[in-house]
Amino acid sequence: MIAPLFKFGYFGDEFSLIIAVLIGIGFGFFLERAGFGSSTKLAAQFYFYDMTVLKVMFTAIVTAMVGLLYFGWLGILDLTLVSVNQTYLVSQIVGGLILGVGFVIGGYCPGTSVVACATGKKDAMVFVLGVLFGIFVFGELYSYIFEPIMDLSAMGRVLLPDVLHLSYGLVVFLVVVMAIGAFILAEYVEKKLVLKKGK
Amino acid sequence: MLEITNTRMNHLIDPSLHIWGWEIPVYLFAGGMVAGMMLILGFFFFKGREKEVDCVCTNLPLLSIIILSLGMFALFLDLEYKLHVFRFYTTFIITSPMSWGSWILILVYPVLAVSLLLRLPKFVSKLIPKLEQYSNKLKSNRKLVKSVGILNMVLGASLGIYTGVLLSTFQARPLWNSPILALLFLVSGLSVSAAFVHMIAKSVYERELLAKADNAFLVTELFVIFLFIIGMVTSTKIHQDAIALFLGGQYTAVFWIFVVLMGIIIPLIIQSLAISHKIKHTPLAPIFVIIGGLILRFVIVSAGQYSSWY
Amino acid sequence: MDQSLINDKPTKYMNPYLAGIGLGLVLLASFVVMGRGLGASGAFSTLIAAGTNIVSPEHAKSNAYFSEYLGLNLSETLKDWLLFEVIGVVIGGFVSGLFAGRIKLKTDKGPNISNGKRYLFAFIGGGLMGVGAKIARGCTSGQALTGGASLAFGSWVFMMMVFAGGYMFAYFIRRQWR
Repeated sequence: MIAPLFKFGYFGDEFSLIIAVLIGIGFGFFLERAGFGSSTKLAAQFYFYDMTVLKVMFTAIVTAMVGLLYFGWLGILDLTLVSVNQTYLVSQIVGGLILGVGFVIGGYCPGTSVVACATGKKDAMVFVLGVLFGIFVFGELYSYIFEPIMDLSAMGRVLLPDVLHLSYGLVVFLVVVMAIGAFILAEYVEKKLVLKKGK
Repeated sequence: MLEITNTRMNHLIDPSLHIWGWEIPVYLFAGGMVAGMMLILGFFFFKGREKEVDCVCTNLPLLSIIILSLGMFALFLDLEYKLHVFRFYTTFIITSPMSWGSWILILVYPVLAVSLLLRLPKFVSKLIPKLEQYSNKLKSNRKLVKSVGILNMVLGASLGIYTGVLLSTFQARPLWNSPILALLFLVSGLSVSAAFVHMIAKSVYERELLAKADNAFLVTELFVIFLFIIGMVTSTKIHQDAIALFLGGQYTAVFWIFVVLMGIIIPLIIQSLAISHKIKHTPLAPIFVIIGGLILRFVIVSAGQYSSWY
Repeated sequence: MDQSLINDKPTKYMNPYLAGIGLGLVLLASFVVMGRGLGASGAFSTLIAAGTNIVSPEHAKSNAYFSEYLGLNLSETLKDWLLFEVIGVVIGGFVSGLFAGRIKLKTDKGPNISNGKRYLFAFIGGGLMGVGAKIARGCTSGQALTGGASLAFGSWVFMMMVFAGGYMFAYFIRRQWR
């Protein structure tokens, strides 16, 4: 086991910031290449005529997920040292719903709005101001409104395999199958809507 | 050993150096930038571009005077005994770069004033109409203009070298104690000034020329940074400890990300695309270069004071 | 004046599956090198916390939420992994746009809406996004993408909820986009 490199002490905090910028460059590059610097393209996902968001997101998840499994199997990567988001069902459900509504109203999510700003979209700059304002309001009202619900139903480090009582590998396989199904469906829906538009 | 460490707790035991804040980096930045601007201005005068209507040489002398004065004001703020400033000029110590610098600065102002006269900005000639006559008289003598150009270039180069050498003669700070640092500040000053003039120039010829020159300076700067680090790493243990501040120490992120990546590499990409006419010339790349140059001086001055012999 | 930076016409977007693989490899690299995933909203929180601390240090330190983001001093606060990652995102997005010919100052909106209304919606949407991302402890990058790939149960629930929220509300706001 040599990875995660940072957790095994191959480099320090300062160097990790340089890594952060390099990884961020890759992240921003592919987001922009995929067309995520455009709110009209992102919002189209919610009207079924451009399913790029779903395709890119699930391909990325599948790639990274299979890669994690592979490196873990090789014995290079210690999966228990890779930080996994803790599960807080209530806050994730409430937050997810609000975020989804915000997504279709605003047309971006925080990451894509940064890319859109970098390519000169004025609406994205306003959106970023909105995000900053939202976080400020959240922080100011934290102890009055949000703190009580933040830790409701805290479940700690829970993975899909734990919940489904299946092995890690099998869940990875099922997610891949589900993703392929979603891709076929997405292509079908897009074609159908294009034909409808053509008439 | 214990005794030594204990007595060192008393801050007057070790010879202490005055801590430099923002004033010195700003002064070095202004000095380096004006040095480069004078080189460019001198080159244009030498080439006879003062006859062109859209030559940037109308703006450069005045801007140089303003920027240099701001830098000198920052330096003045840093002086402990402000009233004793005249003492710089009561003596000349041949081994002191500060002494050289104060005399170079005194020579820079009249040369810039003559350059200003050569290409009078409109608002100045409206203010004092009489200057127009002198200006025309000066301009009619091609050899005189050429001499002013050469004078600008010589003084610009001296100023640039002086701002670089100033830090590297500090024996007490191992990070600054490298002749390559002087070269780095000189090249950085050139790239910043080329970027700045590129940004304000109106003539297409000048913009293209300066963008190309700036790219050359930026590439050179990368090479000089490489040399600087190699020189430090292969030097004594004390120098290795000093450069470790940039190779994992607390200045690593800010140096590599804001100076090297955003101050050199990104503008290099943008300007290369602009030169090959894939994109338009915009102030974007120059702004990155200028900010990168400023951060470079802050980082070097600040990290240098952090590094010591002990 | 033409506000485009680019002389040529923009190139086509990348094939979504290829872009997805690229994105996935970047995420995987982050897992392998750093042992953590990507994110975005955390960087905004750091900025807000640092900003609040500059305006009023006592207020920021007494705030239960902002104080978690504060370091010993300003430079320690700003030396945040996610903030530097987002600086990278700006650079990466810009460079990609530069080479693809897509850098242009403009407002991206549907055909039936004015600029002013688009800005209003963008601000409201951004505000909701900020609050939602803080409640859920992450946004589409930090929760859906990163948590999805590491098979975190809560992140998958979150992802489904984002799509649910989006699709439920899409009807009411369709004028903005169509």
